[in-house]
Amino acid sequence: MKLYRIVLKDIVRRKKRVLFAALGVAIGTMTVVGVLTIALAGQAKIYNELEKYGPNLAVMPAISNVDTHLGDLSLGTLAVGENYIPEEKLPQIRQIADGEIKAALGITDQGNIATIAPKLYINTAVKGTSMMVVGMVPEEESKIKTWWKIEQGKYLEGTDQALVGAVAAKLLTLNTGDTVELNGSAVTVTGILEETGSNDDYQIFVPLETLQKAFGKEGLISSIDIRALCNACPVEVIANAINQNITGVRAIAVKQVAEAEMGVMERMNKFMLALGGITLAVGLFGVVNTMMSSVNERIKDIGIMRAVGASRNQIMRVFIYEAIIIGIVGGIFGYLAGTLLAYIVGPIIFAGTNINFVLKYLPLSLALAILVAVIATLYPAFRATRIRVADSFRSL
Amino acid sequence: MLEVRNVSKIYGEGTAKVVALNNVTLQVNAGDFIAIMGPSGSGKSTLLNVIGGLDYPSSGEVILDGRRIDNLDENALVDVRRGKVAYVFQQYHLLPSLTALENVLLPLIFCGTNGGVEKAMDILRRVGLEKRAGHKPSELSGGEQQRVAIARALVNEPSLILADEPTGNMDRKTGGEILGLFEQLNREGHSIIMVTHDREIARQAKEIVVLQDGQIVGKINSEGGGDKC
Repeated sequence: MKLYRIVLKDIVRRKKRVLFAALGVAIGTMTVVGVLTIALAGQAKIYNELEKYGPNLAVMPAISNVDTHLGDLSLGTLAVGENYIPEEKLPQIRQIADGEIKAALGITDQGNIATIAPKLYINTAVKGTSMMVVGMVPEEESKIKTWWKIEQGKYLEGTDQALVGAVAAKLLTLNTGDTVELNGSAVTVTGILEETGSNDDYQIFVPLETLQKAFGKEGLISSIDIRALCNACPVEVIANAINQNITGVRAIAVKQVAEAEMGVMERMNKFMLALGGITLAVGLFGVVNTMMSSVNERIKDIGIMRAVGASRNQIMRVFIYEAIIIGIVGGIFGYLAGTLLAYIVGPIIFAGTNINFVLKYLPLSLALAILVAVIATLYPAFRATRIRVADSFRSL
Repeated sequence: MLEVRNVSKIYGEGTAKVVALNNVTLQVNAGDFIAIMGPSGSGKSTLLNVIGGLDYPSSGEVILDGRRIDNLDENALVDVRRGKVAYVFQQYHLLPSLTALENVLLPLIFCGTNGGVEKAMDILRRVGLEKRAGHKPSELSGGEQQRVAIARALVNEPSLILADEPTGNMDRKTGGEILGLFEQLNREGHSIIMVTHDREIARQAKEIVVLQDGQIVGKINSEGGGDKC
């Protein structure tokens, strides 16, 4: 028989006491697990909210503006290079963006990850007014501009249709069903956007192909918005890879957006973990208390063990073993209660989230609980080793 | 084998000062069976605790097999408890969550000895409790519990057994049986110091030491005598 068997037998006898101590540990771990589970479930939700920041990568034609001088006299700027990106470069760009994301996240499955929205900008006269008309791929654009809301009519569904910004619609007095001419091609207004407060309000959106055909720009686009949204998406790596591998384009990582997104996430996680840590510390004091009374009620047992040859280290070990068992019990309870807590509180914080058992938090919960229980036991156990055998019997 | 030289034990200070032992000197030889008698509060248990290293004397020396043990630190005292000296208490002091057999094994566990179940069963047989080995203290009578405690004391084969009123909680018949067990152990070579306040029980010992107010006030050698009434 080993020392730990003695501890186990004693714990079986004092079930209630041990459960009570485990409860103290469980409350602390419950909060940590609950917070982490909610944070994990809320992450997707938070990302959805953050998508309102728009794309985090922009690809433009590689135009260099060269300032020309003659002595001190400025001769203005000279644009060098193409104004458009050939459409056939799109698959290449997608390959690079998805490839980098997959490499960064360790994803091996096929399929598209990044949202890639090509656009063609044409400045033209609509109903006699100079307007910016944007050719875009409706499915992709809606993924990037998640904040778009249709005020009237519906979103683009086919060719020869137009979606009009709120201000542009007012300016040109356009309603759904109206027809406008773009360089001689007629398009029907199917929808009018709600005001967004951005440039979109002044623009008219038509399917890319329609615009390309109308202005004879087949196969050409002006710029590409890329949204690579995921944990630690390597937007700058993607930008560099595009710049190095594809000629005639210039990719810019919209760094501020990415950093702001990560920053919000990180602050959120830090705050929640701090909350969990405080609860854990409070739980620690509770366990110190319980263990202290456990030592006091077992002064006689400790005296007996000392009298029959237990060393101070062995008494210490008796309490540490007990703490480990309390930690295991508390860790399991804490994990279950934490998940339950997340299940109840999660939807209140992030409406519409699904809370799942996060199995990887179980070992974390166990480790935390054992650590807390052992730390809380150190002082009471030390006190136990200082008890004099004769005193332990006299106190009865 | 054991010498107690001018040992005093004082609790508290000033007006609250209690002199539990006052300049006690005692010699115990191998094979002795000494009964320490005296009224309650005379310092009997304190003397036993000091002899066995469960308590420190305020002054004086305790020498066990030529080695001073009164000034040993806790770690060194552990070795004394694991080998030469064993205790039997009035309250039995068994661990309630362990069976009789496990309680007997306890000293071996703390010594780091693996196994020992055979040895512990042998000893339980010697004290007549082999059939109760799997029972917990709460399921045993007082006499049986004390037999378990005696078996536990024997498992490390101590040369000196210290017994603090081992029959104090028992009726005369059971007490007599336990006392018989101590006599048998004494015949087998264990030295025994037993605290009691029962004259009849003390009479079974080879020597009686009478304590009063922390001082030895008399020694009676009852070797060979001891009328059994």
